[in-house]
Amino acid sequence: MTSPTTALYVHVPFCVAKCAYCDFASRTPRVPSELSSYVNAALTETTAWSDRGVLGDVSTLYFGGGTPTLLGDGLVSLLAGILERCGLRADAEITVETNPETTTPEIVSALRDAGVTRMSLGVQSFDDDVLQTLGRRHDAATAQSVARLLAGSGMSAALDLICGVPGQSMESWDASLRRAIDTGAGHVSVYPLSVEEGTPLCGSVDAGCVPEPDPDLAADMMLHAAKVLSAAGMVRYETASHARPGQESRHNTAYWTGVPYIGIGPGAHSMLPAGEFDRIARAEGWYDHPWNLVPGTSEAARVRFSVAEKIEDYLAASLRPPLVAVILTASEVAAEDVMLGLRMVEGVDVALVDNAGLTGVLAELQADGLVERAGERWRTTERGWLLGNEVFGRVLEAG
Amino acid sequence: MTNPEYIRNFSIIAHIDHGKSTLADRVLQMTHTIADRDMMEQVLDSMDIERERGITIKAQAVRVMYDADDGHTYQLNLIDTPGHVDFTYEVSRSLAACEGVMLVVDAAQGVEAQTVANALMAMNADLEIIPIINKIDLPAADPERVRHEIEEALAVPADEAVLTSGKSGIGVKDALEAVVARVPAPVGDPDAPTKALIFDSYFDAYRGVVALVRVIDGSISKGMKIRMMASKTVTDVEEVGVRRPANVPVDQLGVGEVGYLITGLKDPSLVKVGDTVTLAKDGAAEPLPGYREVKPMVYTGLFPIDGDQYPDLRDALDKLQLNDPALLYEPESSHALGFGFRVGFLGLLHMEVVKERLEREFDLDLLATAPSVEYHAYKTNGEMLALHSPQDLPDPGMIEHIEEPYLKATVLVPPEFVGAVMELAEGHRATFKDMQYLSATTVDMHYEIPLSELIMDYFDQLKSRTKGYASLDYEYIGYKTSELVKLDVLLAGKPVDALSFIVHKDKAYARGKMLTEKLRAIIPRQMFEVPIQAAIGGRIIARETVKAKRKDVLAKCYGGDITRKRKLLEKQKKGKKRMKNVGNIEVPQEAFMAILKVDD
Repeated sequence: MTSPTTALYVHVPFCVAKCAYCDFASRTPRVPSELSSYVNAALTETTAWSDRGVLGDVSTLYFGGGTPTLLGDGLVSLLAGILERCGLRADAEITVETNPETTTPEIVSALRDAGVTRMSLGVQSFDDDVLQTLGRRHDAATAQSVARLLAGSGMSAALDLICGVPGQSMESWDASLRRAIDTGAGHVSVYPLSVEEGTPLCGSVDAGCVPEPDPDLAADMMLHAAKVLSAAGMVRYETASHARPGQESRHNTAYWTGVPYIGIGPGAHSMLPAGEFDRIARAEGWYDHPWNLVPGTSEAARVRFSVAEKIEDYLAASLRPPLVAVILTASEVAAEDVMLGLRMVEGVDVALVDNAGLTGVLAELQADGLVERAGERWRTTERGWLLGNEVFGRVLEAG
Repeated sequence: MTNPEYIRNFSIIAHIDHGKSTLADRVLQMTHTIADRDMMEQVLDSMDIERERGITIKAQAVRVMYDADDGHTYQLNLIDTPGHVDFTYEVSRSLAACEGVMLVVDAAQGVEAQTVANALMAMNADLEIIPIINKIDLPAADPERVRHEIEEALAVPADEAVLTSGKSGIGVKDALEAVVARVPAPVGDPDAPTKALIFDSYFDAYRGVVALVRVIDGSISKGMKIRMMASKTVTDVEEVGVRRPANVPVDQLGVGEVGYLITGLKDPSLVKVGDTVTLAKDGAAEPLPGYREVKPMVYTGLFPIDGDQYPDLRDALDKLQLNDPALLYEPESSHALGFGFRVGFLGLLHMEVVKERLEREFDLDLLATAPSVEYHAYKTNGEMLALHSPQDLPDPGMIEHIEEPYLKATVLVPPEFVGAVMELAEGHRATFKDMQYLSATTVDMHYEIPLSELIMDYFDQLKSRTKGYASLDYEYIGYKTSELVKLDVLLAGKPVDALSFIVHKDKAYARGKMLTEKLRAIIPRQMFEVPIQAAIGGRIIARETVKAKRKDVLAKCYGGDITRKRKLLEKQKKGKKRMKNVGNIEVPQEAFMAILKVDD
């Protein structure tokens, strides 16, 4: 069975400590042995996917988290084990997420030697006060030296920055952007902070200890970032992503262009064409388990699913029938492709929008100044980048 | 038929929450009317909303057989009445079917405003009053003080008050013995032409209108031809029976008996509460006294959030009205909200209950506009317009004067809160009439207050300013002239009819300012700037602005995030369902009620 090109994501769900704003699937390891149990479980799951025939032509591999580098040497052996189990393209991108406090010169060279091509560093800010509000474990100076280390490592270096943090001034933001550029990194992602329910930061805001983020200031910061990064040669290619030419993330681009992906690890999601999913589900006997996908549902075009949300469940058994599944119909798929396409600066083809029956919705968005027609493509405007939920929400709703 | 000598008809009356329905439950249990295993809390409150809120909305009647200590078995007809002031007329008709009442007073709370109002009603109906001091097993119970209050406030001798606990059943038998001993047996002429009082009715989908009746003279039996004297309707009796509490058919209801009557009539407006049933031929000459048409006091616009639900809303109102003839409605169209209904209610509780039933039982999403009263606008040409909606107010140049309904309000409150009550009254245009100490702990204060002020947040404020101690009762006294103006609200320069309201001239500026401020906080930021203005006539008196939203984005969108994002957007969509699009502005429902929350 020939498989389509696939993106492979590996979720490492452990961190030294949880940051104040984080609501992702991660936690501190309870015992050191959890880390090696995790590596074994992830390899078991990878073997299964390999046997199912969908990892024959992997174009990008991404270790995200959590903090993958917390595994130390375990990460190197996990990577080696995965490479044994799948057919990776020769020019494949292999990314590892990391943070300043776990990135040593030793692990950087070990990863590079093992084949990693790209390191993504969670800097968030080069301002110690802002880092403290976010509950980060590192300081600005460490972040800067690690960023320089990565930029000079021969691998591609990507930095994440957060704006709209309570107490963060425009001056502080500007300084962080400039220091990020100075490190020589080739890629910068800019995220406005969102205060998620249930996080310690949300508690502090509710209690009045930390001021509420000011959405207008965050908007100004996003506009400023686009300007400063472009001027430094880092062009925006996606709503939150800027890169020097050739350093765009191929893995993330896969998510935004409808390429199938497999997620390994607790809380990781996979996405397969419905036919492919159906074939595997029948072979594995998943339909015998009490969950809601009807075999051969003719409506289904794409299925997105994950096998376990909780780390404990995953460590107990990483081979299990999907737990959470979203079944998308052809029209939902079309709308989702348009939505994701509009996150990209290159936009979407007019014909694609027309086939999805979304031309009317885009015309309304155009009237509101959120998208524009540029030749044969629909593209998001500057205003549209700031009001993304309006654009993406209306497109998805119409699907 | 039972010999009237062994019949006792009585009601249980009480201030809300003083334990009336629980006491009724114990009576049903003790007399084996309901087996213990079938017992659920508050059997007589049959609607979900009644049980959840612990209130009685519809009157109920149930027959129980009680073996008294004197060796005889008595037929006791227990008529449970609504406990809320909105339903005063229903209470008065229920009382007209009785010879006595159990007046239930909470042993800790003591006498409250509705205790007084209900007791006065019972006295006016010449009923034997048996004071019951309930909840005596509460730690805070103080029966002696309550006994004193009953004597002071109600002039009812309380030395023979029965001490009970509806919860544990203590004293319930004593209460029933008191009913047998002290409530007079019904008196009537079995040979006179039939005369029976309809004290409640409900609609049964299969049987049509079912009337609850009390026979005064003569009898009612199956097959008889009868006439409803007020509605002038002649019909046959299909079935008579008694409620135990399920309907049990009998051949005949005689003097003093209480039961139900089915005629096959499908139109509730022909079977009116308060009407008199007599024989079609050679019937009674005079109807029983006290009948009146029930008139709504409070009006509000009800609009479906989704305009497509308009026909469903109409059907739902039609169905509810079958069981609730006091509910009146007429179609209304609003520029802002589309098609809906202007609905008349007996009061605010009635309004809330109906809205909740429409949403729950008929699965509708409704938006209610701020309640209004019936204003009388006298035009310069002498014509009087009865206005149920502020939108109907004609041009000020055409109006000679406007009148609004007034109430006599009774507030019972501990002396330390007298100042707070006075202050609140002043802010609500109430005129102080008099006050009297009922006891060292209770002052009885009387006001005249416009109904429109009472339906603002008066009651909530009264409760909060008196730490929950004050109790309120009111009765309608008539129309009075007031200096009233219509205040309009404009969103993005366009008047929104559903937000306009009628207000006293002296308060217009303050209310306009507060309302625009409230609205600015309630209306979420939109894609564009939204000015909010308050205006009288064409004159703008207040202005606020909702700034345009600039940033609304979730930046991360990788594998699993796409699922998260979908969920989030769906959640937002649900939130939007609770909003109404006025032009291209999304307005949350609460905006239309904001005027009620404006503090003075």
